[in-house]
Amino acid sequence: MRIFLCEGTADGILTGIYDAWASRLGHENVKLQVQENWNLELFAEYEEVCTDGEKAEKVARTIKRELGEETWESIFQAALADAPERADSIYRTVAAGLSGRRGRQDLMACLQNPDICKVFELSRRVGREVHHYLGFLRFRELAGGILFSEIAPEARVLPLMGEHFAGRYPGEHFLIYDRTHGEFLAHQAGRPWVLVQGEELNREQIQACSEEEEKFQKLWQAFVHTIAIEARTNPKLQLQMLPKRFRAYMTETF
Amino acid sequence: MNLQKEMTLMEKLEILTDAAKYDVACTSSGTDRAGDGKHMGSCVASGICHSFSADGRCISLLKILFTNECVFDCRYCANRVTNDIPRASFTPEEVCRLTIEFYRRNYIEGLFLSSGILHNPAYTMELLYQTLYKLRNEYHFRGYIHVKAIPGAPRELIEKTGFLADRMSINLELPTAEGLKRLAPHKSRKTILEPMRLIQNRREENKEELMLYKKAPSFVPAGQSTQMIIGATPESDYQIVTTAESLYQKFQLKRVFYSAFVRVNDDSALPVLPGGPPLLREHRLYQADWLLRFYGFRAQELLSEKRPNFNVFLDPKSDWAVGNLDQFPIEVNRADYYTLLRVPGIGPKSARRIVNARRFGSLRFEDLRKMGVVLKRALYFITCSGKMLYPVRLEEASIARNLMSVKEKLPFETQPYHQMNLFADYGIGG
Repeated sequence: MRIFLCEGTADGILTGIYDAWASRLGHENVKLQVQENWNLELFAEYEEVCTDGEKAEKVARTIKRELGEETWESIFQAALADAPERADSIYRTVAAGLSGRRGRQDLMACLQNPDICKVFELSRRVGREVHHYLGFLRFRELAGGILFSEIAPEARVLPLMGEHFAGRYPGEHFLIYDRTHGEFLAHQAGRPWVLVQGEELNREQIQACSEEEEKFQKLWQAFVHTIAIEARTNPKLQLQMLPKRFRAYMTETF
Repeated sequence: MNLQKEMTLMEKLEILTDAAKYDVACTSSGTDRAGDGKHMGSCVASGICHSFSADGRCISLLKILFTNECVFDCRYCANRVTNDIPRASFTPEEVCRLTIEFYRRNYIEGLFLSSGILHNPAYTMELLYQTLYKLRNEYHFRGYIHVKAIPGAPRELIEKTGFLADRMSINLELPTAEGLKRLAPHKSRKTILEPMRLIQNRREENKEELMLYKKAPSFVPAGQSTQMIIGATPESDYQIVTTAESLYQKFQLKRVFYSAFVRVNDDSALPVLPGGPPLLREHRLYQADWLLRFYGFRAQELLSEKRPNFNVFLDPKSDWAVGNLDQFPIEVNRADYYTLLRVPGIGPKSARRIVNARRFGSLRFEDLRKMGVVLKRALYFITCSGKMLYPVRLEEASIARNLMSVKEKLPFETQPYHQMNLFADYGIGG
């Protein structure tokens, strides 16, 4: 058994698929693992995968061409999940798709297959978290007019949010910081969004807010407070719909 | 008039939010509008919830009244003319600024603008139109807008406003015309249904315009909705569901919302509900509403003149299934989509997944679980390759008992207000 150890990013996993495939050892003799709290296995040799944008791109193109856009979307979303087993499940899903003669385009419907089912579940979980953040994420206006937001997601959600926020705020400079994974989503007015990795957040630069910022924060807090109907007060339901882990980064007070 | 000095924006916002909070709809769904690369705003078909208030309701839109001045005297409404409360009005500019600055910070999906009747319906509708016009054409706002059509406003005004909004709604207020007459003397079924029909017809025409010319301006693209108050008047669930069904069929409404009555005015025409707002009843109506819209049920199947109200202990779908055991069990590997949808524990998503997956091979119970089927509800009604999960006797009382012991997840705490009695509740025995 040879275990391919790859980086936890989408490109890392896709490169892992490329290398494992190219090794020609046969699917049953290889395994993919991400380098996040992994355990050494006995009787296995390890091979470290060096993330390579070109290899990743080739694999991505093949998946899109052979298995269709929808399957690609599921796989890409699953690759961003916070689950160590995702790399191997994705590898096996792709293998099943490329070897099968029929049903290539709706591979993700075949939920009887445990690996496909895993990818399906992970992508659904990531999709749900992304959807939550599209609503629960809050910007504040910094002194220079830049909108800044900080979040702590479980999955690497930023690549899945760029299009939404860049489309919504084409004329704004904004910066979203994912503190779990140390990534940034950066957007300059009128330009495409970019994902920035390996940079540090400068805490000082995000301290000073614009003059009007506090006023609108107060107005929003008053709105959220006032819109609730006393006779229907239901903190349990509120907690279920808006779990605590999101609240620390929101403007409203609870 | 009890105000002398100029109010601050904060004071106005508090008054006009408080006055708007009993409106139920806060959905931002139904419009899919990508960004244009230039101006702020976009819409997502599914809608997005941005927060949840202390009552557990979703906050998606900045829901405010333009003014809480009102010449009407609806008995159930906090803003009625006879109430001595602080009154305030926004300017169009203020509404625009609030919307834009909240939207920029990703607090909201857009604006829900309603209003009390200032002077008369036409004057009020004109104010709403001016506000929307400014927001769309001066601020170039492309986010979601839900606006109320004011009953009794001229049709040209409603029509003009509809070209600026994503959704329009006119509240039915009460499920029957008699109820409306008693509690809302200035409104009538006619002044409510007329603009509803107008919006429906204009939407139909607009669809043709859009087919001919893709860039034609779209009219109320997210459709119209309405709401009615539950428990202020004595209608049965059967009457309410039948009313909702005919609104869906005859007026092509996108949503009917139900609002458990909250007694905000001490008025002899209003009932006193010691248990608080009828939340369980409201919940059952929403469940039934889903069955009408997504599950292919008809109101007649769920209730009747003889059995006019929903079962307190069982959701409407389980209740229906238990009463129609002759149609079960069904074979999961063969039954069509709509038959699958009739099984308690199977919803539109899991039914779709089942239909798609079984082309690759037959399904087992553990596969169903992974697809999101709630087996502890479904197990009485399905077979997988001819076998049930456990041997079950298809007998009404025992299945009902078992389904009730699977604790239903309700969105609020319930007080057990009477001991469950199978014999009385199911008409079994004497």
